[in-house]
Amino acid sequence: MSKNILELANVTKNFPGVKALDDANFRLKKGSIHALLGENGAGKSTMIKIITGVYKQDFGDLIINYNKKSFSSPNEANKSGISVVHQERNLIRRFSVGENLMLNNLPKNNLGLIDYDQVAEQSQKWLDIMDLDINPNTIVSELTVAKMQLCEIAKALSLESKILLLDEPTSSLSPQDTKNLFSLLKRLVKEQDVSIVFVSHKLEEVFEICDEVTVLRDGKNACESENIKNLDRQKLVKLMIGRDEQIIKSKENKNTLNENLLELININTDLGHKEISLSLKKGEILGLYGLVGAGRTELIKCLLGLDKIISGKLILNKEEIIIHSPQQALEKFKIGYISEDRKKEGLILMHDVLTNSGITVWSKLKKILYFLNNSIIYNHVDPYVKKLEVKTPSYKQLVSNLSGGNQQKISVAKWLASGTDILFIDEPTVGIDIKTKAYLHELIINLSKNGTSIILITSDMPEMIGLADRIITMKDFKVVGETVNNHNYDDMSASIMANIHE
Amino acid sequence: MSNLLKKDWFGLGLVIILGSIIISFFKPAFVSPFNLYVLMLSVSLMLVVAMSQMIIIAIGQMNLSVGAIGGLVAISFTGLMEVYDLSILPAMFIGLGIGIICGFINGYITVKTGISAFIITLATLYIFKGMNLGITEAQPFYEIPEAVKYFGNAKIFGPIPYLIIIPVIITFLMWVLMNRTSLGRYMLAYGNNVQSSELMGISSTKIVVYAHIISGLLAAIGGMLVVCRLQLGTPNIGDSWLLPSFAAPVIGGAILAGGKVDVIATAFGVILVAIISQTLVIFKIDPFFVQIFLGFMILIAVFINRYREYREERRNKVFSNE
Amino acid sequence: MKNKIPDFVKTNQFGLLLLVIVFILLFTFTTDGFSSRFNIYALSRVVAIDIMIGLAMMVVILTGGLNLSLGALGVSAAMFGGWCMESMGIPISISIVLILIFGSFLGWINGYVTVKTGVHSFIVTLATMSIYFGFMTLLTEAEAFRKLPEAFTDFGSMKLFKKYISPLLLLSILTCFILYYLFKFTDLGRKLIAAGANPDAAELSGISVSRMFIYCHMLSGFLAAVAGIMLTARIGAAIPSMAGHLGFDWLLPAFLAPVIGGTLLSGGKVTVFGTMLGAILVTLINNGLYLIDVGEFWVRFFLGLILLFAVLLDRAREYFTSKNSIVS
Repeated sequence: MSKNILELANVTKNFPGVKALDDANFRLKKGSIHALLGENGAGKSTMIKIITGVYKQDFGDLIINYNKKSFSSPNEANKSGISVVHQERNLIRRFSVGENLMLNNLPKNNLGLIDYDQVAEQSQKWLDIMDLDINPNTIVSELTVAKMQLCEIAKALSLESKILLLDEPTSSLSPQDTKNLFSLLKRLVKEQDVSIVFVSHKLEEVFEICDEVTVLRDGKNACESENIKNLDRQKLVKLMIGRDEQIIKSKENKNTLNENLLELININTDLGHKEISLSLKKGEILGLYGLVGAGRTELIKCLLGLDKIISGKLILNKEEIIIHSPQQALEKFKIGYISEDRKKEGLILMHDVLTNSGITVWSKLKKILYFLNNSIIYNHVDPYVKKLEVKTPSYKQLVSNLSGGNQQKISVAKWLASGTDILFIDEPTVGIDIKTKAYLHELIINLSKNGTSIILITSDMPEMIGLADRIITMKDFKVVGETVNNHNYDDMSASIMANIHE
Repeated sequence: MSNLLKKDWFGLGLVIILGSIIISFFKPAFVSPFNLYVLMLSVSLMLVVAMSQMIIIAIGQMNLSVGAIGGLVAISFTGLMEVYDLSILPAMFIGLGIGIICGFINGYITVKTGISAFIITLATLYIFKGMNLGITEAQPFYEIPEAVKYFGNAKIFGPIPYLIIIPVIITFLMWVLMNRTSLGRYMLAYGNNVQSSELMGISSTKIVVYAHIISGLLAAIGGMLVVCRLQLGTPNIGDSWLLPSFAAPVIGGAILAGGKVDVIATAFGVILVAIISQTLVIFKIDPFFVQIFLGFMILIAVFINRYREYREERRNKVFSNE
Repeated sequence: MKNKIPDFVKTNQFGLLLLVIVFILLFTFTTDGFSSRFNIYALSRVVAIDIMIGLAMMVVILTGGLNLSLGALGVSAAMFGGWCMESMGIPISISIVLILIFGSFLGWINGYVTVKTGVHSFIVTLATMSIYFGFMTLLTEAEAFRKLPEAFTDFGSMKLFKKYISPLLLLSILTCFILYYLFKFTDLGRKLIAAGANPDAAELSGISVSRMFIYCHMLSGFLAAVAGIMLTARIGAAIPSMAGHLGFDWLLPAFLAPVIGGTLLSGGKVTVFGTMLGAILVTLINNGLYLIDVGEFWVRFFLGLILLFAVLLDRAREYFTSKNSIVS
């Protein structure tokens, strides 16, 4: 049996309010490609960050080549031969490819000055190993994303990294690029003695190139270093989703004869959406499913006027409208958006609970001369904050001091308070404890029962199948399928997957 | 050829040459030896000041205290020679030392506290300037050795002043630093992407402190060059440096967020600003117009840089969806 | 905590207030002349303007930006006012309205260019500083307006409360209350703060962030114009050099007051009364330094040190409060 080059033994990592990793294990065999799978919030990214020295585990060991290690910075992990390949993130965009590859060890001439001929020559070696047809003198920012990613891998090789972590490497690659990447990865494992941790949502890719699989679910191992041959697709999905504790009270399928409230007709956007058509009925929950990078959140942002819609029609209540800004969406068209990134886009962390839960209603509540005091806001938002059972010592508490679940409740509460007709809800339960999750599910169902129309984006398949009335599947910034939800998990997941994989 | 067109300095060079030809067509006095001499003097002084700011822009920060350091060094240099009868060389080395110390203070506090360089250098601006005024009580030092005066005003041949030697050498060294040494490349890498440069094991402390030290050193040299030129050490040397110190790098295509500066383009920026100022003088336009002009040039340059960045971003976006 | 300490005691402002009191007592008992009617009156005239300048900077710091053109803008507005009153003979009240509109307009330019280019306000206001100041000197030919209406200059030299206090100070304090009202009790003020604290979140919550940022710059221009008017009234003339070259003399008090007052440089927090107390503290120290005879030339040095000290303290406070919040 080959050796374990990297091992995580009984690792636990706590964040305020959430146990991100709970006694999790992981073993990477030398010369293998190991898939690390799990849904959003299952603990994958925490695990990656521990391996790469961004976080430190609370309990358990990180073992490299049978030596216990403890990294205090990503650079230390780097020095121990661990490299993460992000998309275009680790390169100096204004430098040439060659200089990026050689940056840690720039060749010098006799005068001690950088010798760029040597830079090109030496970096060419790594490009050759990868069979990459790029001139080392090309400036990185002029490359395509796919090529940037390959350069990142080349850079990792040039650092003599023996462990590569690839985090969703194919999410923005074309099928051809993906194919090239895979044949390269296989070759690297064989010829360059590297071992690879492969993180992806695309199961077919996992079956194509991985040797072993570790699945995380709610911070625990659903399976650990299992040989891929012992698994099939269905087993793997079951491991990822678990299903037992996530039974959502399925919603009665409502009368879908309601009339269309919001309609998109052949929408093309600046971000690359092509001919998107869909409709949202009154009181309906319309699910948008798709893999990371399918363009769902981006579509919503275009609808809110943050990026341009180039052509197509947007129809609200049978009238064609144009939305210029989220402000207009809220105040004129009564459309709201609950962001997936609550820390960056959803909340103002440095402000208190009252400010955050009332921000959407200030305009509506203001009295003469813009007058607005705390008690006016309090009177309006208190019912919603109470309804959501937000646990906070007071309204003066800073939101940054609350747990993730309570933060999410507040970013939902402010939209409830705003009384919008249409809500775009984006990944509402990522990184949230199970109890709050169930609570939010119930809330979303009740909202729609009371007439709010909802477009729900979630990558959590059971959540989608539990909540949505209809499910639209997106891929590569296009709509690839629409299904009426019958709330039967096996049927639905099969049909959605079929949509995604053609 | 297409590579040449992409360089920041190419367009500027073209503007300078064409502009000079047009101006000298209307006012032949523009190419008179005296005018060229004056032009070269002002370019000499501002080159050093612009480089002093440019290196801080390279790491994505700013240094408001450039002028204050220059002023403090200028009066120390002259004061040491006048009051303490030091000869030129020791006074000069002490002056350089003061510049280095000032730069070190700026860099060290900035990197260790994580407070924006703007506010730190604003504070040190007043500290250095206050020391300057406290020492001089706002009175200039007049007794400057003849050699210094000579260096500041004599010509090598034709209209070329001796004073230009040092700035030209500095510009060359800066070019070498930013293009051919690891230190310079690491500074640019740091300015481009702090995270990934740290990931590569590049020490932030070292980069930031070195950049500020070099900035302080250059400001010190600038201060002493002004002394040579003026033949006296007045406390208000450096007071008017702030604007041109930013103007030249920005006109040269530098991006204030960091990671992109071009030494040659910055030098051309200095020349362009000098030519325009000089032209306004030749055409007897109110000198205050120079100020307004400089302001507008910064705004225009910022617009252009921003537009180019935007175009590049868009190109990448389109690419990634193909 | 069982024995409840009132909230305001824990605030930065309370600490500042104590410091102010300590310094007043210190200077009263250690120096001659500090508590003299003349000195207090002089102080009240100085501090009034410093408060206004500090507030003008504070409202831009709120956006996470800054306004280098503050001094140039204030002087330009003042010179414009001088021109209105002296050359055009426009009545004082109308002149003042025009000045305020003019100041807000210059602020609008700053805000508009900043928002539209997405460039940091530092470089934008560096450029406009030069432009405003250049135009001002060009148009005035660097000449002062010295024959302002008497009613106007009388206001600047008026003495209230047994001749201890200048009405200018009352004006500044009134402005503080108005701003406090704006930020605490209005929809608009809350939106300004929210936009400064987290532009992305504010935008997605239905606040037009660019408009808020432009408002902040306009307000800054407005307040700088008020400061310009006050300075003109105090001096009795509108002088192009009254804020130094390019208006740079205003920058130190402009940053000192809000930073000492506890305004975060990264934006999203305002402390109106903190800024007021900050300005008072700086003026006190400044005055004290003169009285204990450090020599006027060293005063700048000490103020620079104080600014440095204040930001370091601010950083330390941030560090410790963030530690606290993780514990609680």
